[in-house]
Amino acid sequence: MDDEHTANQAAVGLLAKDELSDAPKPVLEPKSRTPEGFVVHDVIMIGAGPASLAAAVYTTREDIETVIYEKGVIGGMAATTDWIDNYPGFPDGISGLELSDNLRRQAERFGARIELADVTNIERGDKHIKIVTTDGDQYARAVLIATGSDYKKLDVPGELTYYARGVHYCATCDGAFYRDKKIVVVGGGNSAVQEALFLTRYVTHIDLLVRSKLRASDILIHQLEKNDKITVHIGTTTDEIIGNGKFVEKVIGTDTLKDKKVEFITDGVFVMVGLLPNTQFLKGTKLQLDGTGFIKTDKDLQTDIKGVFAAGDVRSGATMQIASAVGEGATAALRIREYLES
Amino acid sequence: MPKNITIYTTNTCAYCGMVKKWLTIKGHTYEEVNLDASPERTQEALEVSGQLAVPVTVVTKQDDSKEVIVGYNLSKLAPAVA
Repeated sequence: MDDEHTANQAAVGLLAKDELSDAPKPVLEPKSRTPEGFVVHDVIMIGAGPASLAAAVYTTREDIETVIYEKGVIGGMAATTDWIDNYPGFPDGISGLELSDNLRRQAERFGARIELADVTNIERGDKHIKIVTTDGDQYARAVLIATGSDYKKLDVPGELTYYARGVHYCATCDGAFYRDKKIVVVGGGNSAVQEALFLTRYVTHIDLLVRSKLRASDILIHQLEKNDKITVHIGTTTDEIIGNGKFVEKVIGTDTLKDKKVEFITDGVFVMVGLLPNTQFLKGTKLQLDGTGFIKTDKDLQTDIKGVFAAGDVRSGATMQIASAVGEGATAALRIREYLES
Repeated sequence: MPKNITIYTTNTCAYCGMVKKWLTIKGHTYEEVNLDASPERTQEALEVSGQLAVPVTVVTKQDDSKEVIVGYNLSKLAPAVA
């Protein structure tokens, strides 16, 4: 754990050093304009996670001018992940923050430009695609949507009331407030188990509430079994979060194996119960989504709107792995190149 | 332009890095309180924001009034530092 901590500090150091650097970065210039005189970018990517940062490495190396819009964190969910052990090429693992920063620097090295603004709509015109952002309208010949996904809510009483006052969705952000305290983590997948293991650096004890069964990978389950700070409660639902008006005090659940109510006295609850696609901004478009809101694409990662591609966690059928997102990003970039040349 | 800006952060918080990055791009300087390096100031961060979360950005304006922004929220950060 000390090694991880040191690596994270090193990652933050890298970020800070780079932020303060005055070294000029090459930025590719747009090559065309609309008849009204507005700049038309070769490609606009929405979301600066691993999929689009990887795609940008490929597009910029082909001299395809690339702008990436990000409303949240560069690196997306990967950046908020404490430690990544399953991304090939890093035999000792790498912190999510450091991997994200490496991806960003690699994309910028070849001329990608990252803008910190929110995209609220996209509209297909005859010749160009209009991208509506909080920094004004932009135009592009092609678009890559790689907005990723976000953690699902539990949708139980008390969850919204105590958000950020005991209810959290980001362990790497808010874990430090639980030094020497007792917490609950909800979920049984890789994210929940990994975040629980991360949080043991701060807390005295964790009750891990798993609705059905553990779905995390075996290596994480082995680490979980060896960790005496975590008690796993299999078959336990989370029904209500109760507080004193200011902060969380306990979680009420149901032990479905014994069919009885259970209570966990706690200082906080970290929720990691699955993912939802970040596609709310597409509601005004005709872009086809699947039943849970993920973007449908063809085998070339193109959506049903010509010139609009999708890659990574936001795509229907995605495996929710960073390695897959990076691979999809590279594929999308090559397909975008073909599209722009056609 | 604000009189000063203080940000409460932790080492592993990606959103904290984004706030710092955005302020730097916009030409603002800030004081950083890292709660991993100074855990004794965690209660102070909680009292300032009322929330158990970082980043917490405290913007002190020219008239000494303060605005507190929790999280990486550009729609609140931008007017607060204008």
